[in-house]
Amino acid sequence: MTSTAVSARGGRGVGRILGRLGAHTVMIIVTLSAILPFVWMLISSLKPFAELIDVHNPSILPQNPTLENYEEILLRVGFLQAMRNSILVAVPNTAAILFTSTVTGYVFSKYDFWGKEKLFTLILSTMMVPFAVLLIPLYITVSDLGLINRLEGLVVTGLCSTFGIFLMRQSMEDIPNDYLDAARIDGAGEWWIYTRVIIPLSTAPIGALAVFTFLGQWDNFLWPSVLLTSSELQTLPLFLAGLRNLWVQRYDIWCAGAMLTVAPVMTIYTFAQKYFIRGLAMSGLKG
Amino acid sequence: MNTGEYALRARVTQMGLRVRKVMRKPQFWFGFATLVPVLAYYILFSFRPIFRAFWMAVVDYKILHPKASEFVGLANFQQAFEYDLFWISVRNTLVYDGIYILVQLPMAIFVSVCLTTVVRGRRFYQWAVFLPVVVSLVAVSLLFRMLMEPQHGTLNRIIRSLGMPTFPFLTSKKTALYSVIGVDLWKGLGYYVVLISTAMLNIPEEYYEAAKVDGASSWQNFRHITVPLLSNTVALVLALMVIYGLQVYTSVTVLPGEAGGPARATYVMNLLVVTEAFNYMRFGLATAISFTLFLFILLVTVIQLRLTRRAWTY
Repeated sequence: MTSTAVSARGGRGVGRILGRLGAHTVMIIVTLSAILPFVWMLISSLKPFAELIDVHNPSILPQNPTLENYEEILLRVGFLQAMRNSILVAVPNTAAILFTSTVTGYVFSKYDFWGKEKLFTLILSTMMVPFAVLLIPLYITVSDLGLINRLEGLVVTGLCSTFGIFLMRQSMEDIPNDYLDAARIDGAGEWWIYTRVIIPLSTAPIGALAVFTFLGQWDNFLWPSVLLTSSELQTLPLFLAGLRNLWVQRYDIWCAGAMLTVAPVMTIYTFAQKYFIRGLAMSGLKG
Repeated sequence: MNTGEYALRARVTQMGLRVRKVMRKPQFWFGFATLVPVLAYYILFSFRPIFRAFWMAVVDYKILHPKASEFVGLANFQQAFEYDLFWISVRNTLVYDGIYILVQLPMAIFVSVCLTTVVRGRRFYQWAVFLPVVVSLVAVSLLFRMLMEPQHGTLNRIIRSLGMPTFPFLTSKKTALYSVIGVDLWKGLGYYVVLISTAMLNIPEEYYEAAKVDGASSWQNFRHITVPLLSNTVALVLALMVIYGLQVYTSVTVLPGEAGGPARATYVMNLLVVTEAFNYMRFGLATAISFTLFLFILLVTVIQLRLTRRAWTY
């Protein structure tokens, strides 16, 4: 169905075949330029330092492949600590945002109350404010709570997501009210409806939001870099950025560290491509 | 008891009854239990900080005694406008943003057309295009910092093996900003391609079928079907690009030898806000700069909304 359906887009006859050929060529170039830097990174991470910076005898494949760089970064430099910190922030934040977004989305989509639309607009309008404006007063707020230089400070500021609330409201509007009414007639409580009707019917947007939120937290750089100053609290991006100064020009170590950061996400992405693309693409539809 | 008092009393009772009726509904308690904590979060971490930012922009903020901060009107903004680094960062931000859009938008549309034209292998191509979007920007910045290194960097080895002189990339103030833009273009392309190609595939097939019957060429298809139906998506993508570009931070911090360097060539507004606030503790100045950024973003948002609305009636 799809193969015939798409055929009309590219025009007709010889032109169509040429068009497809050209399109394949472009896509192959794009594909290579997207993948090759990562391949280079993987290969370089397996090279000893001397080989990596040897200008006179450049090698493509490692001549003496070694896992020393990984050993170094895993055992000596505190990578695992950074990974642990990242998990300690990203997992509770994702869980919290999934919960607050679904539950608030349910209330906004299915309940009627005074001032609902005004409140919703007010919440949405915060998306227009750039983080730079929020940065200083938010820092002061977190400081007043005594949470500067603590992972809790990151967690506490990431409990709700405006985009998540918006997304969940949008998708839950489509759930027929009859389902809820039928459940209520059978004596179901609101919590029961939320967990047994609303959530099972929203798995697709929830999956997408989970990916979007987790990646956002996992890669977050600006806010953690302001909030966390001691090295044992660094999240992965802070740790990686810190390698620049801690291990000046030790590209072998950098490659191993970057590889270890990137590999898990890439692997999960490969198996859950649809969710990743939906999750990140949906964030664009917020306008 | 006169009639007025009686009516009032009746109304109060009625209201009380209504309130009690509402309160008896399970929905009320569920909604209450949901919205109160969520609102508390928003008040504490969103509304109040935003209001405080407005206040901080017009006072001489005293870090140790915030309540003693004096109103100074637009002095913070004046200070920003007299600061050479402010203008450098505004210029860099706008140059960054301008070039980013001028290259990224046509490139994203072109790649999207190619992606929707191919059938076999589309999922794989999509995987590859989107791969840089998924991974951490700090990791990507480190990666390109290595690739762009003048002496040992692979890009320069390739350039030299082609017989050309070493390209300075991030080490020269003439090329640093463009090198950073290059990395961000590479990192972001897939995101916009996914947005645009999804919208392209959502255009009903009947339109193309009808055009085929009329003998339309693929260019005519693109020009007269795809482009008009895509204008909303393109306006949105453009706004996303502009707003992203205005707020660039991570790449200019991690890619060059020093954040914003060399010689302030990659100093952007977001970076200036962060350094003024947290390295020099000039909160008022930093807030004024952040509001200038806010103004740019508001402008873009308004223009985008205008454009989209007009396209809607098209």
